[in-house]
Amino acid sequence: MAAKIDVELRNIKKVFQNNVVVQNFNLQVEQGEFISFLGPSGCGKTTTLNMIAGFLEPDEGDLFIKGQRMNGVPPHKRELGMVFQTYSLFPHMTVAENVAYGLKLRKVSKTEMQERSKRVLELVKLPHVADRYPKQLSGGQRQRIAIARALVIEPSLLLLDEPLSNLDAKLREELRDELKRLHQEIGVTTIFVTHDQEEALSLSDRIVVLNHGHVEQIGTPADIYHRPASEFVHTFIGKTNKLEGRVVARQDRLLTVETQSGLRLKAVHPERAVAEGDAVTVFIRPEKIRLTAADAPADANRAKGKVELTSFLGAFTECDVRIGTEVLSVKVQMLDPGLSLSIGSDICCQWSPEDVLIMPGERG
Amino acid sequence: MGRRLAVPLLLAPSLIILLGVFLLPMLLMLVLSLQNDQQQFSFENYLLFIQDPFYTGILWRTIRVSLWTVLFSLLLGFPVAIYMANASGKVRGIVTMLILAPHLISVVIRNFGWVVVLGEKGWINELLLSIGFIHEPLRLLYNELGVVIGLTDSFIAYMVLAIATSLYSVDQSLSKAAAILGASRIRSFFDVTLPLSLPGIYAGVTLVFSLSMSAFVTPSLMGGTSVKVLPVIAYEQVMSTLNWPLGAALSFLLLGSTILLVALFTRLAETKRYKEVFAS
Repeated sequence: MAAKIDVELRNIKKVFQNNVVVQNFNLQVEQGEFISFLGPSGCGKTTTLNMIAGFLEPDEGDLFIKGQRMNGVPPHKRELGMVFQTYSLFPHMTVAENVAYGLKLRKVSKTEMQERSKRVLELVKLPHVADRYPKQLSGGQRQRIAIARALVIEPSLLLLDEPLSNLDAKLREELRDELKRLHQEIGVTTIFVTHDQEEALSLSDRIVVLNHGHVEQIGTPADIYHRPASEFVHTFIGKTNKLEGRVVARQDRLLTVETQSGLRLKAVHPERAVAEGDAVTVFIRPEKIRLTAADAPADANRAKGKVELTSFLGAFTECDVRIGTEVLSVKVQMLDPGLSLSIGSDICCQWSPEDVLIMPGERG
Repeated sequence: MGRRLAVPLLLAPSLIILLGVFLLPMLLMLVLSLQNDQQQFSFENYLLFIQDPFYTGILWRTIRVSLWTVLFSLLLGFPVAIYMANASGKVRGIVTMLILAPHLISVVIRNFGWVVVLGEKGWINELLLSIGFIHEPLRLLYNELGVVIGLTDSFIAYMVLAIATSLYSVDQSLSKAAAILGASRIRSFFDVTLPLSLPGIYAGVTLVFSLSMSAFVTPSLMGGTSVKVLPVIAYEQVMSTLNWPLGAALSFLLLGSTILLVALFTRLAETKRYKEVFAS
């Protein structure tokens, strides 16, 4: 049986003063799914979220929530939960009053209100702050209360508008895990807007990558990471090395590409067909490159270079290696014994043909 | 050493002015108000005020007119403040200018303008008569209504700007949060916007009330001889009757009742919750 569709966007388009902010947005969100809208600022992710919430109306297209067409329905009639970047707790209400506000509007009885507020405060592990005012809480606590306030009404859909961006790095990670736990516990369908690829990768069932108002790719985190649909997706998600080149030979599944600087490398033939002589763009993730001194196996890619720059980052070291006119960025987690990363030392980069991503390059 | 000397030196000019032209005359006035016509110490003037229904009636009228002015300024000013809070910076600037522009003209001229508009032959009455809405001209001048209209015109700017300033600091996403939780726009106004604009409302109410209590020009011009308020009576005692002690006593009674009422209002309005939420 097909999963139930909770949210559906059909051909959504939004224009602000002759600027197309969102177009051709099609998406089906299954019940219980955690979906992220990921993209740089100005990509249309927040606009789309605001259309789902009802703060903006799409200029074209239809929006369905739980099978109901929502175009023209004001936000207060959509039965949604939303968490904002700025927490948006009511400063003149205590935590308990903030959490109970949605229930009060729904005319829930007093005893039920207290019970449900208490339960949801326990869910976010803050039952002891009920009588405090928001300004007496830390940023992380405020955002937990905001989440509790959104969840207490048992919304059909939870919208998260960059809820972690105002927190410092350590808290952000903590709350990210918290979001994951909450989603696993209650399973509410969630749409999460973020510009942070790590958050999107770690939390989502599926990610919608947006750029300049159009959908670049919709897929699982692994799809997005390993099988990017476009150069934008590949470069936006994580660091990468980009080389321009030309296909010089083709042997079964294996292509040989020569880069502009004369570096020859082998790559597994991509899903999109390329022929001999085609201009291609080659991408290699820094963490897929290994540094060695010894000779590599015959069919693997390898290139000799010199260490140009190293930055020690704790869990790993980032290292720039110059090979002719190209500079490859390498992420080193474990260095082979006997190797030195001191600047100017000779080193050999090697990687597997499976880890080379080929995309059709600029023509000409 | 430099700093220790610098602070009193910098304060000196304003302190001298404050002491010389404000506090000292006030003290002299106080002494004056406590004298009878034989220049002996006496509470005569204050007792006269309390015992004479004419004077207490004037005080009540002054308070009544001021309270109506506060109410009208609040009701008419709040929508303007909300409009400003939701507008762009440019529009805010233009509206602020429009609100303050009438104050560039002397209050006397503006009050005469109202006389032209509100008089028996003013255009409001002419218009209402011509469409048959009324059969006799309305009395819009030289009564308490006239004074309230004039005072509201004079002081509404303070109310608007005080409320707008407090609304500027209210996070716009709060009304979004209320909406998504299920509050209609009206509900969200009463549950979120209004309570959060209380500091501005309180400031506006206090300002407009004190200004109305002590207003002199507008009540004299738009109230005429039949609607006298305390500042007008005090003025008459000093300038016409030349009874300086009584004039001084009336001034202090005006000052005292204004302070008392403002203090009472603050005491009632600033609840425990208010203090907890808005204390910085």
